[in-house]
Amino acid sequence: MTLELDTLVFVVVAGAGLVTAMAALMAREVVHTIMWLAAFFVSLGMLFFLLLAPFLGILELAVYAGAVTILFLFAVMVVRKRIFSQEAGTGFSVTAVLLTIVVAFLFTEEAIQINTPPPSRSYDVITLSTSLFANNGEWVIILGFIMLSALVGGVYLARESRGRPIKEEGQ
Amino acid sequence: MIPLEDLLIYSGLLFAVGVFGVLTRRNFILLLVSIEIIMNAAILNFIAFAAYSPSTTSLGGVTGQGIAVILIGLAATEVAVGLAIVVALNRIIGSVNVSKAMELKL
Repeated sequence: MTLELDTLVFVVVAGAGLVTAMAALMAREVVHTIMWLAAFFVSLGMLFFLLLAPFLGILELAVYAGAVTILFLFAVMVVRKRIFSQEAGTGFSVTAVLLTIVVAFLFTEEAIQINTPPPSRSYDVITLSTSLFANNGEWVIILGFIMLSALVGGVYLARESRGRPIKEEGQ
Repeated sequence: MIPLEDLLIYSGLLFAVGVFGVLTRRNFILLLVSIEIIMNAAILNFIAFAAYSPSTTSLGGVTGQGIAVILIGLAATEVAVGLAIVVALNRIIGSVNVSKAMELKL
């Protein structure tokens, strides 16, 4: 059995994704975490291209690797003072590691039992948008309402004049 | 084409990495990063099933890709609200350690 190019690319991209995801959680500086997270998003976007979903790959690169990463960086710049290494908490606890192993085992064991590779198929953007906007338009409307309420909540939380500062910040 | 079970195993491992982050980290920003990893594992599942769905129906598995689009929007919204909470936490209690945030009211 020869190793197909698809499988080789998948192994490389998936390995890079796992390594970058772990590195993002292990980094001691929050800025390094965000950079590793951006690399993780890029690897996932490449995987979407491999899965015949080029539009979603572009969306992943634009929204996650672009917008979300920049949003994280802005948040770190705003609250930069004390949140670096001393609060990263890079320790382990036995319970957490055990629970993680249990979760990984449960998910991967279920996946291993799926043994029938069904046919693969690609969809173009026209089919996707028809399905999304014509057949399932209520999802998009609900998402719009959720985003609107999130906007109101974000503005409310970020207001300067509200509330009482409990603790003086070291100027 | 990549076998479906390989993709599901990869997705499960990513989910476990995210769960590990949620269980061990106390920095709010790292918690958000872990939740992002978990949501991306779910999105990967939807796209994998969409790619492998049988093409007997007219739309087949394109619904899975539609759900993935909705999920990407939801995750971006969640990050925006989460980071607003980070800024508010830092302003009010002077820290983003969730162990120090005892009151829900900001």
